Parts: sequence; structure tokens; C-alpha cells
Amino acid sequence: MKEFAYIRPKTMAEAVAARRQHGSRAVVMNGGTDIVIQLRERLIAPDYVIDIKGVPGLREIAYDPKEGLIVGACVTMNELGEHPDVAANYPWLAEAALSVGSKQVRNRATAVGNIVNASPLCDVGTPLYAANATLIIAGLMGEREVAIEDFITFVRKTTLGPEEVVKAIKVPPLRDARGIFSKVSRRSEVDLSSVCATVLKVGREFRLAFGAVAPTPVRLKATEALLNGQKLTEALIAEAAILAKTEVSPIDDIRASREYRLDVVGVIVKRSLSAWL
Amino acid sequence: MKYRVKFWVNEEPVELEVSANRTLLNVLRDELYLTGTKEGCGAGECGACTVIVDGKPVNACLVLAPELDGKHITTVEGLAKDGELSPLQQAFVKNAALQCGFCTPGFLMSGTALLQENPNPTREEIVRAISGNLCRCTGYVRIVESIEEVAAQYKGGAR
Ligand code: FES
Ligand code: FES
Repeated sequence: MKEFAYIRPKTMAEAVAARRQHGSRAVVMNGGTDIVIQLRERLIAPDYVIDIKGVPGLREIAYDPKEGLIVGACVTMNELGEHPDVAANYPWLAEAALSVGSKQVRNRATAVGNIVNASPLCDVGTPLYAANATLIIAGLMGEREVAIEDFITFVRKTTLGPEEVVKAIKVPPLRDARGIFSKVSRRSEVDLSSVCATVLKVGREFRLAFGAVAPTPVRLKATEALLNGQKLTEALIAEAAILAKTEVSPIDDIRASREYRLDVVGVIVKRSLSAWL
Repeated sequence: MKYRVKFWVNEEPVELEVSANRTLLNVLRDELYLTGTKEGCGAGECGACTVIVDGKPVNACLVLAPELDGKHITTVEGLAKDGELSPLQQAFVKNAALQCGFCTPGFLMSGTALLQENPNPTREEIVRAISGNLCRCTGYVRIVESIEEVAAQYKGGAR
């Protein structure tokens, strides 16, 4: 690792000021499970590392049936996945968080970090896409809130400004919701997703979010439109599985081929929806 | 630039000047000469560097040295008390749960953290808890059995 200065802001205002002062010469570090590897491999070589774990309030998880769920930027994957309110109201989000890496990694890696990294296969991406989650972002002019779908724009690209820091994820309350998180990987523990997905049924509305099949996580809007308000039948599910494959654009990589991923998308749609037949 | 950090390793207070571009693993091995904690991959994959920080198992290779300020760290050197190996260490010895031994400190730390959190884990919980530790020699069976054996001792109320 090249030398750099370590900055540990004590307030969000200090964190934002450090971002403003050092611009592209600085990176924000949270759990560090990605950043430290990138530093070590010299994929990044910042002059400043801004560790936001000292900012108070960022470790909080708050749930209210009317307001929904707030997940602070420094909440780890294990804290999220093991939180009783998350397990009770968003079990598919809890499952996604606990599917990340190893226990040691989940004790450090954060959900917000997973989103800010904007990897197409980020495991907590699909539950948050399906839940219409938003990000609360602190900047010089105060806070703004942005839908997760508008935040992640491409592989490892987001609309986060150079003077901004993500403060929390907000998940709206979901009434009468059932959901299924799926992760298909080469081995069952400690692996990256070949395909991941969250399928939600909120009342009579269906929401299908898939990861690792496009440059960003995606919602399958046409398939959702086909299903919304309909009574599930085997024929309808078969139709949805075929349509779903036309809404994704997977690539070949070391984890899986394009063809395999397309097949898996159909299988996940079928299996998830069939649970509610 | 150097950063002054005060923390505890195996209940002993430590005060050091560290560089930002060093990891907890570097500090333990190269500055404190606690070489029980191993470096396998250096990238959060193998678990050989597992230590317990504030009660939770983490990969020491992924923690930056200046983050250590105020933390309580347990390494494999801290498991034996008054010259006596911990129950889990004794179980590893008795069951020959190691061959080359390189992965052993990491497994002991993951196993110890699990038993502290949950004294009665199921076999599946054990397997999940050690899934971030790789062993190229044993095939894992004896490691899992050693953790189970200690859990069974807890269950009997013996400890
Ligand atoms: S050396 Fe830290 S996980 Fe391999
Ligand atoms: S005993 Fe050799 S790697 Fe585990």
C-alpha cells in the first residue's frame, strides 16, 4: 500500500468538508472490506482516506411501521441481517445481507458501502431495488434523498457528488408484502453471486429485481406489468419467465456464461412466483 | 504520517505510533511480534488472519492500523490462560484437527467467537461460522467435531 493520510471526521459536516477539501485525492472508507483490498492491489492510490466510522449516529437501525426502515451508513451486514425488526418486516433483505461473504467480512462490510460501490452483483442491491429504497445523502447544501435506481448509473458509477457522503438507506414500509431473495453462486458459502434476485408481492403488485445480469441491478418493468393485478397461474408464470429473459442483458465472465445467466433468470422467476400459487 | 493509537491486545494495553498504510495484521506480526495470527491471502478470503475485535471475529488483513484506537483485540496467543490451553485448543489437540497448522489460529478464533456468542450451536451453525476459514489439509471434519465437542461440554452445564 502506498502512503496516505488517515482522516477520521467526528461529524458529518467534517466528513463533507474533508471531501470538499481533498476532492478526487480522497476516498471515503466505511467497513473497508473493498477499499483495503483496492489499496493493497494499488487499484486506487488516494492521498487521503476518510474513515466515517467515527461519525455519530451512523450505526443506527430504526424501524417504524409508518416511516419504514432507516439503515445508517455504518451498519454492518451482520447487524442488518440479525436485527429483529429487519428479520420480521424485510426478511428477504436480512437474508441478502447475511449472504454476503464470510462472517468476518460481514462484521465489517456495510450495506451502504455495498451500494456505493455499485457493483452489478451487489447482494443488498436487489432487495433495495424491489423495496423502492432511497438513499439519504449529506452534502454542503444539506441533505438530499434519491431513489436507489437513480443513484446507481453503471458498473461502479453513481450520482454521488464529489462533496457528498451517503448517510443512510431508507426503506419504505411495505404493507401486505411477501418476498423471496435468491442467490445463485458457484458454491453455497462465501462466494459472489452469478445471479441474485428479489421477487416481491406487495398486495396485488409484483416487483422483480435482478442483479449480475446487467451493468446495474435492474427492475423487470415489463414482466411486472404483465403480472400486476393478475391471479397467478402456471401459464402466466411461464409467460413471465420468458418475458423476464428479454429484460436483462447478462455477459459472460469467470463466474458464469451469458446463456447460463439467462436460464437462471427464468428459473428464479418461476420458482419465486410458484411459491405463491 | 504516524498515528498514535491506544488499544488492548489480549487484555494488555498497547500504545503505538502506526502508519496509515499498515494493517492490524502487520501491527500484530511485525510490531508486537504476535506471529500466531497468519497471513494467507491478505485479501479477506482465507480467514488465516482472523482475530476477535470488540467481541466479533474479523479479518485482521482488512483493518487499517489507525482504526485500532480504543479497540479490544484477542489473538490466538490470548486463548490459553495461566499456561493452560483453552477448551477449544485442547479439543483441537485431542482430535488432531490440524495437519500443517497454518489455518489453525484462524479456526480457533472463529470457533471461540462462535461459542462466546452461541454456546450451543448446531452443526450447521458451526459450518456457517467457519465458512470464512479455509483449510487445505484436514477436510474440516475434525475441526467441526472439535467445536461440537466443546459445545457439548457447555450443554452439560459442565463449564
Ligand atoms: S490473510 Fe486475511 S483473510 Fe486471508
Ligand atoms: S491444517 Fe493445513 S491448512 Fe488447515
